[in-house]
Amino acid sequence: MSKRVTGFALMIGMAAFAAMPSLAADDAATRKDLTAVIALQGLPCGEVVSVRTQGENDHVASCKDGNRYHVFLNSTGRVVVEKQ
Amino acid sequence: MPAKSAAKAEAPVAKAPAKAPAAPAPSAQPPKKDIAQEPAKPKAEAPLDLTSLETRLKETKAIGLMTKIALKNQVDDLLNQFRAFYAGKLQTTLADLRRPYDLLVLKVLSLLQDSDPTLAAAIVASREAIWGILSDRAKFANFASN
Repeated sequence: MSKRVTGFALMIGMAAFAAMPSLAADDAATRKDLTAVIALQGLPCGEVVSVRTQGENDHVASCKDGNRYHVFLNSTGRVVVEKQ
Repeated sequence: MPAKSAAKAEAPVAKAPAKAPAAPAPSAQPPKKDIAQEPAKPKAEAPLDLTSLETRLKETKAIGLMTKIALKNQVDDLLNQFRAFYAGKLQTTLADLRRPYDLLVLKVLSLLQDSDPTLAAAIVASREAIWGILSDRAKFANFASN
């Protein structure tokens, strides 16, 4: 029984480890996307270093230069970037 | 010195017969001349395919979803400026509208040039053709109605 539990835990651990790169890749893609969106609006940022996702197409992006922006898609289909 | 000047003076006379036989050559061999000149001709521009460009921009993985939507917003804003200009509601000139157009193209190119250089090149190649549509009232009206 103990061996089964250990094996199961090991499998979960391995699955989580295998999933990590894709999560990291998604995160990197979102950061890159938001960096481009902020730059398109002509706002200072440099590079987005972290993202907090609040919903679908709704993020808070923290920039390398310390700026923080709320980037979201509003009801009219426009991408809005608000400085926080 | 006089000998040299004499030689110079005579040169055209001496060259004239030499040139004379060469002159009929092109007419004698017209196909050869055409073939030789063909590579020097500039290639005809590929027809502008806006639908294809739009599809490729939508499908490219070089630009993220939010960025694509933001770009679409800016394209729509620019098109609205042209609509207002042609409707007489916007007091500006085509030269003034060229600047935001160029800026928008540069933004798109900066997003594409590293990850999708083929599409970037296609946009560069179409840049003037697209401006040709935007800057022509009739062509723009036709484009905007589609």
